[in-house]
Amino acid sequence: MKRANRILTVIMFIFLYIPMAVLIVASFNTGKDMTRFEGFTFGQYAALFRDPDLLRLLGNSLLIAILSTAFSVVFGTVAAVGVHNLKPRLRKIALSLTNIPMTNPDIVTGVSLSLLFIFVGGSLLGQRESLNFFTLLIAHITFSLPYVILNVMPKLQQMNPALQDAAMDLGCTPIQSFFKVTLHEIMPGIVSGGIMAFTMSLDDFVISYFVTGMDFVTLPVEIYTYTKKPIHPKIYAMFTLLFLLIFVLMVTMNLLQLRADKRKKETRVKAVKPAVRIFRRVCAVVLAVCVLGGCVLLISQPKSQTVTLNVYNWGMNIADGTDDTLDIIAAFEEKYPNIRVQYATYESNEVMYSKLKNGGITVDVVIPSDYMIARMIDEDMLLELNFDNIPNFSYVDEEFKYNDFDPENKYSVPYTWGTVGILYNTAYVDEADVTGWELLWNEKYTGKILMIDNSRDAFGIAQYLLGYDVNTTDKAELQACAEKLAEQKPVLQQYVMDQIYSIMQNEEAWIAPYYAGDSMLMMEENENLAFYLPEDQGFNLFIDAMCIPNCCREKEAAELFINFLCDPEISGANMDYICYASPISEAKEYMEEYLAESEVIYPDAEVLAVGTNYQFLPGEISRHVESLFMGVRGSVSEGGDNFGLVLILVIAAVLVIPPVFRLIKRQVKKAKKKV
Amino acid sequence: MKKNKSVLLSAPYILWMLLFTLIPLGVVAYYALTDAATGEFTLDNLNALSAYLPVLWESICYALISALICLLLGYPVAYCIAHCTTAVQKFLYMLVMLPMCMSFLLRTLAWVGLLQDTGLINRFLEWIGIGAMPLIRTPGAVILGMVYNYLPYMILPLYSTIVKIDNRLIEAAEDLGCNAVQTFGRVVLPLSMPGIFTGITMVFVPAVSTFYISQKLGGTETVLIGDVIERLFKQGQNQNLGAALSLVLMVLVFVCTGIMNRFGGDDEEGGVIV
Repeated sequence: MKRANRILTVIMFIFLYIPMAVLIVASFNTGKDMTRFEGFTFGQYAALFRDPDLLRLLGNSLLIAILSTAFSVVFGTVAAVGVHNLKPRLRKIALSLTNIPMTNPDIVTGVSLSLLFIFVGGSLLGQRESLNFFTLLIAHITFSLPYVILNVMPKLQQMNPALQDAAMDLGCTPIQSFFKVTLHEIMPGIVSGGIMAFTMSLDDFVISYFVTGMDFVTLPVEIYTYTKKPIHPKIYAMFTLLFLLIFVLMVTMNLLQLRADKRKKETRVKAVKPAVRIFRRVCAVVLAVCVLGGCVLLISQPKSQTVTLNVYNWGMNIADGTDDTLDIIAAFEEKYPNIRVQYATYESNEVMYSKLKNGGITVDVVIPSDYMIARMIDEDMLLELNFDNIPNFSYVDEEFKYNDFDPENKYSVPYTWGTVGILYNTAYVDEADVTGWELLWNEKYTGKILMIDNSRDAFGIAQYLLGYDVNTTDKAELQACAEKLAEQKPVLQQYVMDQIYSIMQNEEAWIAPYYAGDSMLMMEENENLAFYLPEDQGFNLFIDAMCIPNCCREKEAAELFINFLCDPEISGANMDYICYASPISEAKEYMEEYLAESEVIYPDAEVLAVGTNYQFLPGEISRHVESLFMGVRGSVSEGGDNFGLVLILVIAAVLVIPPVFRLIKRQVKKAKKKV
Repeated sequence: MKKNKSVLLSAPYILWMLLFTLIPLGVVAYYALTDAATGEFTLDNLNALSAYLPVLWESICYALISALICLLLGYPVAYCIAHCTTAVQKFLYMLVMLPMCMSFLLRTLAWVGLLQDTGLINRFLEWIGIGAMPLIRTPGAVILGMVYNYLPYMILPLYSTIVKIDNRLIEAAEDLGCNAVQTFGRVVLPLSMPGIFTGITMVFVPAVSTFYISQKLGGTETVLIGDVIERLFKQGQNQNLGAALSLVLMVLVFVCTGIMNRFGGDDEEGGVIV
């Protein structure tokens, strides 16, 4: 029995540590894929320390963790003393308030705080950037405080109240007695509460994910977007270093504690005092260093005389300097040294739209697709551009000006254009099956097919297959599309956007509909991949264009940026990396030849003629399509009519019945006592 | 005199918590009961929720199954740790804590690398001749992810209760003629009940609301309530419906923790906090 128990324990520890072992081994891998070890290297560690962005994110996380911990330790300890002395009834209320963030699911806490900040900051105070560094800090303090309170309270309860009275009898003021006696007694609680608050804050993802704005992002939130793109092994290197750091910290803490315990036993009276005093001093120094460091970091944040430009773009949609391409943003910052670009990515038009619509952020340049631009114009979400600041607009080919989505060309400057087709793996997929969009419904490849994870493209594919107009507003047709998409679900492996890269490259899946440029990028990595346009059924031809949303703060700098990207040389260098077609034909001269001549990127004119554009759909129809797609994805049925009322009644009952029940019980008890 | 004054110290804290925990929940309720476009009062969002009942039910099942598996696996581990010498106990406790401090996103991603069709486990199975098995994108994979991520939340409170059990009670039971099974069933298990209930709550709450684990390890059929809320907020353009769903999730969790607290005894400190 005991032995079985031990064996199970060992197995459980192995279970807990296997994934970490995988990550640590991956940090020494020369290849990019975590599951294939290609050779030993320390290169990832070197790459980590050469990456200023990653270090800045780590700095952000540390800054938030240090500041929120320092604040909640001080504030929480003071509050705990207050709460401890409250009358029992009030104390109970205070403690149940403390328990709310502890018991609430993180996602609800995150959602509620983000709605609060947007509602109060955005709607009531009319603030534009209501989600910023300070709201993130407030959120972290709010979920850190309970850890401190709940660790300090028991220590206060254990403390002998006579000690404090004795101190005051000996002439201490209450404040002196707090610092000389109470603090001393509750220190272990403060330290363990602080450590918990720190680790929770450092690793928090869910709450930060909902509360974070554009300008201040912490490491876990960024890692979430990284895990969708092919993840760079230097992240594993960082994980390994953090692991080592925390491991060493914990072991030393354990050893110190063990030694202290031993000493306590040996010489109870004499040794305690200096040890505690030293401990207290160490704590004070650590705290002071933390606060100071935090302040220094805060001050060393971007200075106000430089302009910060927030660019919000598709994932993998700008050349970033890897694989011998030009680092566009660095080049821009070099040309305009007073502008600092803050770059963030989204994975679909819908995600970008929600983020802007939800509010609370500043974005200066955004690059949506055609139909989304039309919708944003319709909803007054874009600002008119001043084309005097964008002289390079003249390089843009005439056929890409005055598009349907922006007929007077007041709001947008084309960035790229391309097609949506099918990417498939020739090693596994029979060429005879590649006949059209129905390939995505082929049961032969069950479990190896991916589907695009945004409503417009998914419905577009169903519409091409069923022969409907892609811009239909007919609800019956949309319903038929939804049914067609639901039919596809059993053969699908998953719905993806940016995650597609690693899945297709390591042949985890074989067939996926995707954008031409990204497909080209994947084909460069895996030569078995091929791209196919269903010419008979039709396909989407899209234009992504640069716009300035109405939450912009630096319009002139934004126009400078747009102008910079329209420079043919820059555009060509950019296309070398992102593999899309440039709306500036002169840019072709600066592109790698094999890309400029690729049929994937620049299909023949007659093929192109078959492609159709997505056009503006009224907001109501867009929402309908989105909810249909939600239904397809989440096996959601139709809503009921009176469900809401029933729900409210149930909730009310749940909230009311227990207290009433308790009250009755108390009355009965009282009555019994009287008898 | 002093006591009265120090009571004032709690005022800023209570104010802070009201401002940033209770009022936000009110804002969620406000969003849940208003229309996205017009801002008028409506029950539409709540009415639409009935469509999500199957998803909610499924999430509860997943979370409960994970909590029970965590209990079955965690109890022996906690028991084993509690019966080591103090120094070893401290070290093992730390080993359980350590994974919780590391990025759970990356650790889950490591499971993807292990489980996927072209992953480490399947390559190993092929190599020894068994052949690849469908591991990832199954309900089992989601439960595995939950168990892996939340097992420490079960072990730690269990350990804290088991370690407090007075050894003399066990000896007394043995003296009175109980065999090992009887001692466990009649003494140890009843005494570790509070830890069991805290552990189940601490696993259930994050498991029922997770979205990352089901997104990474689940397939097209394993959509959980957290996924739906995340989608509604981040790309569904329907914050109001998302708020309504969050409200329901919150009430559900409060009811569950309420029930658990009832069984776990009214401990003012709320058992063990990790």
